[in-house]
Amino acid sequence: MDFSWLSDPFYQEYLWEGFVNTLWLLAVSAVGGLILAVGVALARLRGPRPLAWLALAFTTVIRGTPLLVQLFFFYYGVGRLLEGVPGIRESAFWPLLRDPFFFGALTFILSVGAYSGEVIRGAMQSVPRGELEAGRAFGLSGVQVLTRLWLPRAIQLCLPTLTGEMILLLKSVPLVSTIALMDLLQAANIIRDETFLVYEPLLLIAGIYLATTIVLTLGLRLVELNFPGMRPTRRRWLPIR
Amino acid sequence: MTASFEPSPRPQAAAPAVAAHHLIKHFGDLEVLKGVSLEVEEGTVTSIIGSSGSGKSTLLRCMNLLERPDRGELAIADEAIRFTRNPQGDIVGLDRRQLQRLRAKVTMVFQQFNLWPHLSVLGNVIEAPMRVKGLSRRRATAIGEHYLERVGMADRRDAYPAFLSGGQQQRVAIARALAMEPRLLLFDEPTSALDPERVNEVLGVIRDLADEGRTMLLVTHEMHFAREVSDQLVYLDQGRIAASGSSQDVFDDPRCRRFVAPAA
Ligand SMILES: Nc1ncnc2c1ncn2[C@@H]1O[C@H](COP(=O)(O)OP(=O)(O)O)[C@@H](O)[C@H]1O
Ligand SMILES: [Mg+2]
Repeated sequence: MDFSWLSDPFYQEYLWEGFVNTLWLLAVSAVGGLILAVGVALARLRGPRPLAWLALAFTTVIRGTPLLVQLFFFYYGVGRLLEGVPGIRESAFWPLLRDPFFFGALTFILSVGAYSGEVIRGAMQSVPRGELEAGRAFGLSGVQVLTRLWLPRAIQLCLPTLTGEMILLLKSVPLVSTIALMDLLQAANIIRDETFLVYEPLLLIAGIYLATTIVLTLGLRLVELNFPGMRPTRRRWLPIR
Repeated sequence: MTASFEPSPRPQAAAPAVAAHHLIKHFGDLEVLKGVSLEVEEGTVTSIIGSSGSGKSTLLRCMNLLERPDRGELAIADEAIRFTRNPQGDIVGLDRRQLQRLRAKVTMVFQQFNLWPHLSVLGNVIEAPMRVKGLSRRRATAIGEHYLERVGMADRRDAYPAFLSGGQQQRVAIARALAMEPRLLLFDEPTSALDPERVNEVLGVIRDLADEGRTMLLVTHEMHFAREVSDQLVYLDQGRIAASGSSQDVFDDPRCRRFVAPAA
């Protein structure tokens, strides 16, 4: 095992940049994706017919095709297509449309929107009707019932599933190394190409992923445990007896 | 810390708290209410009894328009409900603004409590006063604490519903209904989902409310209780009022006897 390359400031720089990009991509995709997911769930449950159909089609396509194919589709397909649009190179969006981070985030946001959208839809459907009816009976408006009762309750019900989705998302991030975005895997690839060491860089980033996953899991568990009204039986730190 | 709170005196109105006239309600082909007329005087308690499926819940739910009747007239708290009707006289719509205003005046206690599990006990009680009546958190909290005290749940104000027994949850649900300071309180079998040993703590609270002169409309299977607290008793049978009047009258009515005391 040769880890002497670790002392090289250039490689340190790559790894740090890769780590930061990974976390950024995770954060942006999680936030954007969950907002989209709520929209998708609402469209499916309460949207007018065409919107409900659109949401169903979106969910089916995103969940029915590989993430890597979607990433290539947006980056090489849509990205290159947009290059041909007259005037776009002069527009303010141009730097964004050349940025692999943009396409990575876009792909992941859509993916989280589809997968978590289904999770949230299921959770919304399993909120007991009586609770929402009580809201209406006390004069809350439809929007108030949604934002004060229905959504918070649904999220309470599916929080463990959603946090699981976020952990899966973290481990999808290395896919973006294929579109030349400097994530952890891309950093490891560069180090491998220059030092001819295959295992060491991979081992290092695997360790970083594992540590990040553990920290993320515990952090999200903390959120779960502190979610208002959580049942006493679920208050256990580790999923073991 | 919090401002003390004195409940406002109940308005002295001449008109009944509820006046329903010839309500008809269908679910699909099933006619659940077949022309029910009912008045509840201000400051009185009316109990609705009847076998399961006779339409008691449906009638009660018409009183805050959780169910929309298909025909008939309804006046609640001095206000005639402005139904939209088609040319045949069937009710097809409601005035949303009026509905919201009215639901602040007629609150409900459900068989399954229907507390909001992600809100604390106090959170449950102050939610509607804040969001619907627009009270400040401070004011709503003062009112909420007053009524939690009233039902003996003040010490659990920060607990969440999942940590309470059924009886405690139902008492919180009663405080939630009281905190709106409604003109009329509706109870739909408030003790039917409770363990037998929890029934009395809830009935005790309801009895106190009756003694205090609150206007209440109550669906119950607790015959003794209904007989004791009610100024008016209504026996509903297959969507029709089969007997109504004072407890004594209804219990003595031969049509009702069979239901009230089947063994006798
Ligand atoms: N939302 C509904 N849709 C269809 N049928 C209903 C609905 N609510 C009640 N019913 C039917 O109406 C009848 C009366 O119900 P309900 O008012 O709940 O009776 P009760 O409270 O006296 O037991 C029952 O036959 C019930 O099945
Ligand atoms: Mg019923």
